[in-house]
Amino acid sequence: MLTSAVITGLGLGSMYGLLALGFHVTYAVSNTVNFAQGGTMMMGAVLAFTLSVTAGWPLLSAVPVALVACALWSILVERVAVRPFVRRGSNSWLMATVALGIALENVALFTFGRDPRGMPPNYLTTHFVVIGGLKIQYLQILIPLVGLGLALGLHAFFQHTRHGKALLAVVQNAGAARLMGIDVERVTTLAFALSGMLAGVAGILVAPLFTVSSTMGTLFGIKAFAVAILGGIGSAWGVVLAGLVYGVAEAFVTACLGSTYTQIVSFSLVIASLTVMPNGLFGRAGVRKV
Amino acid sequence: MSATRVLVVGLALAALGVFIWRADNYQLYLLALVGLTAVVGVGLNVLLGLSGQISLGHVAFYAIGAYVVAILTTKTSIVFWLAWPLGGAAAGAAGALLAVPALRVRGPYLAMVTIAFGFIVEQGAVEWSGLTGGWNGLIGIPTPSLAGYKFAEREIAFLVVILTAVTVWLFARLEAGPWGIAMRAVRDCELASQSIGLDPTVIRTVAFVISAAVTGVAGGMFAAMSDFISPESFPFFQSILFLLVVMIGGADRVLGPLVGAIIVVLLPELLSWLAQYRLLFVGLLLLVVLRLAPGGLVGMVTRFSRVRIKDRYPNASRDVTAMLSAAGDRPSLVVRGVSVAFGGVKAVANLTVAAEPSRITSIIGPNGAGKSTVLNLVCGFYQPDEGSIRLAGRELAGLSSDAVARARIARTYQTSQLFGELSVIDNVLVALRRGRLGFRDLLTPHRDPEQTALAQSLLAFVGYAGPLDRAAAALAHVDRRLVEIARALAIAPKVLALDEPAAGLDPGDTHKLGELLQRIAAAGVAVLLVEHDMKLVMAVSDHVVVLDAGKKIAEGPPSDMQRDPVVLEAYLGAQLNIARDRKTPRPTGNTILATKQLSAGYGGTDVIRRIDIEIEQGELVAVLGANGAGKSTLMAALVGLNRQIGGSVLLRRQHIELLSTSRIVAEGLVLVPEGRQVFPELSVVDNIRLGAYRRSVADADVRCERLLDRFPPLKLRRDQRAGLLSGGEQQMLAIARGLIAQPEVLMLDEPSLGLAPMLVENLYDLLANLRDEGATILLVDQMATLALSVADRAYVLQSGVIRQQGQAAHLRANAAVVQAYLGAPEPAGDRT
Repeated sequence: MLTSAVITGLGLGSMYGLLALGFHVTYAVSNTVNFAQGGTMMMGAVLAFTLSVTAGWPLLSAVPVALVACALWSILVERVAVRPFVRRGSNSWLMATVALGIALENVALFTFGRDPRGMPPNYLTTHFVVIGGLKIQYLQILIPLVGLGLALGLHAFFQHTRHGKALLAVVQNAGAARLMGIDVERVTTLAFALSGMLAGVAGILVAPLFTVSSTMGTLFGIKAFAVAILGGIGSAWGVVLAGLVYGVAEAFVTACLGSTYTQIVSFSLVIASLTVMPNGLFGRAGVRKV
Repeated sequence: MSATRVLVVGLALAALGVFIWRADNYQLYLLALVGLTAVVGVGLNVLLGLSGQISLGHVAFYAIGAYVVAILTTKTSIVFWLAWPLGGAAAGAAGALLAVPALRVRGPYLAMVTIAFGFIVEQGAVEWSGLTGGWNGLIGIPTPSLAGYKFAEREIAFLVVILTAVTVWLFARLEAGPWGIAMRAVRDCELASQSIGLDPTVIRTVAFVISAAVTGVAGGMFAAMSDFISPESFPFFQSILFLLVVMIGGADRVLGPLVGAIIVVLLPELLSWLAQYRLLFVGLLLLVVLRLAPGGLVGMVTRFSRVRIKDRYPNASRDVTAMLSAAGDRPSLVVRGVSVAFGGVKAVANLTVAAEPSRITSIIGPNGAGKSTVLNLVCGFYQPDEGSIRLAGRELAGLSSDAVARARIARTYQTSQLFGELSVIDNVLVALRRGRLGFRDLLTPHRDPEQTALAQSLLAFVGYAGPLDRAAAALAHVDRRLVEIARALAIAPKVLALDEPAAGLDPGDTHKLGELLQRIAAAGVAVLLVEHDMKLVMAVSDHVVVLDAGKKIAEGPPSDMQRDPVVLEAYLGAQLNIARDRKTPRPTGNTILATKQLSAGYGGTDVIRRIDIEIEQGELVAVLGANGAGKSTLMAALVGLNRQIGGSVLLRRQHIELLSTSRIVAEGLVLVPEGRQVFPELSVVDNIRLGAYRRSVADADVRCERLLDRFPPLKLRRDQRAGLLSGGEQQMLAIARGLIAQPEVLMLDEPSLGLAPMLVENLYDLLANLRDEGATILLVDQMATLALSVADRAYVLQSGVIRQQGQAAHLRANAAVVQAYLGAPEPAGDRT
């Protein structure tokens, strides 16, 4: 039973990690957190479902379209709910992104409906691998692989490509980055689009394991945010690792104590660790100069 | 409260009373809901509006208050009237508990802590089912009764109305009182609040507790008027609604939550067809309010009505000099053997300095010498690694900055740190208490006439002549400085430390500042002045201490310092008589970069005015001037980083003043910024390559290798992270990064800053070589003689305008350059 908990935990954890990577990317580039991420994830799942099941598209076309929609939506969030406030020097982007997330959830509510729907079985969920007497769906192997793969891909992008390094440069010194001719606004837009796609991927991968509903994003987004905070929102590997740890820990608590204790334990851990390390487990404090 | 206000409130209550008498049960329920939501809003307003801390989990306190009342009244014999305040107290205790982690974090981290708390309470209610009934909740909560009479909807509505009115009134008292002002001060500028003796931790915790307790009281009432409660009565979304209530009405406004509650509760009722779209409506409404009316509806209204309030001006009715002298004994501030190091680099080394009462002691030195660090050490912002700081024999080293302030050391900052949203008079008033806040002060009005008169007199004393009620953020630069000094004086300090107060002031205001400092010293205060403006320093100081690279290199009366060769060398640059003459003739002809009547500045004031400079291809032109003269502003304006621009900038006869920085860089104007500004986590090679990012240089890799060959230390460390390089190496890196793009014009801002003398020599040899190779260079450096050793021509900038220009050789012999720096006639000696 514990091993299946670990497997579930790894799967869920890498999805938390993916969403948390989205938080990391936007925070790293613009010092803002997109609280509409949970909603974006839901949108990815809902769109993939609608296109492939309701409209009958093949998965191979439904998925990219859903991802592009997530990217476009996140760009809109940046334009409308982040940029005007950052420009003003105000912190209201926090509430503004929350507001947009709520709005999106409501739109999904009255278009998609209230009832959660299950994705029809597909190749990945009907085929199993048997390890040590345990049946593991292909999908359950795919999810952590995709999660880690994306983290690796992002890492490679940042460390080994010209544009990736330019993005990092913006994080490290926005003023000097501007002097290099880097268009900081465009970089921010790109970062938001990227984080939106990450959320979309998470939603699409998770959907077959659970159900698709208009409310699936909120709690997931909050937990992913907790993961990002725990890992130290400035560190890509930190959030991915924190995601895995969180997912496995959650699965363990559910297996041993029952699902209702899960939230109490995990959120208490979040508060406790923030008390001890106010910048997250892997984060670093900013420099104060007077 | 004025008579009209009492009348209006009385009428409103009376009207409500009539309404309650005539309304049906559902309407009464709605009224009660509005009232309770308003009460929560007021509570949240203490936290969000006054104290500036966000909470996305406030429904938890509501739930705690509700559950305490429900549990006590259903399971014990405790009556509502006792359970109710107990519920509030329980919520307040929870708030104090939450404050412990919450105060250690900021921004999104704080949001997370509050969200987590909300979920824990909700799930706790589910888990602790023995007490709370789990998912089923508690039913049959008795309504309150008084003297045997059981309350029905009408009485409850009445009770809620009274509760709401009382809560709003209490908030008004708190907001206008010393605690409210202190909370706002901590919100606006935590740093400055500490420098007037406030302890932000205590103040923020009190805000948390009050906010939680008020919300708990509302929750308790909610339980009493509902037949049953369960965890589903307190969803996460409710916390967002509470926030919306505060924001729609207007945070930090007394009536804001009331207006917000009316809208948030009643509007969906009136537009019942909206029901399905309620979330969408809430989300969009919140977004609109945030974008268009950040002050909320009440904020919008007050903005229109504020026009009618007449301006008050400072009235000097109290004797400020007497107040300052009455501070009792006049001790000296003695700093002995103090050192502090950051990241392995010693910022201040074994420094001994004293500030005598009734005297002005100035600390001068080149940039990076450690002057501000000394101030920060004295005022408790940094803790020294060794040494002692004593005032009247009392050891201050190691104390926090608010403790140091309470020990009567006041300070001002390099960039004025005022409480932006507070009025000018409130900025000074809040400091008068020197951080003393007691229980009784929670509800007393703080606009005590005696203190107000004193605050006005302080403002008049420093020379502030503007309106008293203007928000500090709206002040002009010189007024900001004056108000900050008035605020510092309000704590009746024995020592006043000022960090570059004359920066950005024109000569007339600087002169007045000097007179003010002398008046302050005459009252017995020990004035410690860190300044670059030599004219001011020489005019007012009794004693001057010269720092360089963290060490004291000279001290004495100002007249001696003007002639001291060590001081001169530190300021003007080493090797006074090396000229790096051209090895190749200067190409004559095209002007490649020119400015016409260029002006630029910040916050509405211009720092540089009517600048006309020209640079021909292949020239090395220097711009000289003391700190505050406007050199960096000029650079920022040329490269497009400063948007407040007048006049024009022409690169190859094309106007570039309106282009974005990335376009200007693409056109070939490259700036090597002040302070190196490398990308610390990227490698040396990556840093250099980023220099070619925009210009799409054809053989960037080849050029990169060639540059590495040119700078052997960089080649040695090619894959190391740039942040680990030494200062000199970082400067080389920054220049290499600028060169890779083959710029049309290479601009350097203070390249010698913080470099050891030998490295500076190497740097300037490099610049001479680049010049001889035909590069076009615009150079800004406070080391005037050094810059003149490589330049073809130079401009001298002072107070934002060009005072001198000409061939470098000519300027080298000219006394005016020295004048600009040391405010005195040139020292003796041949200087060609």
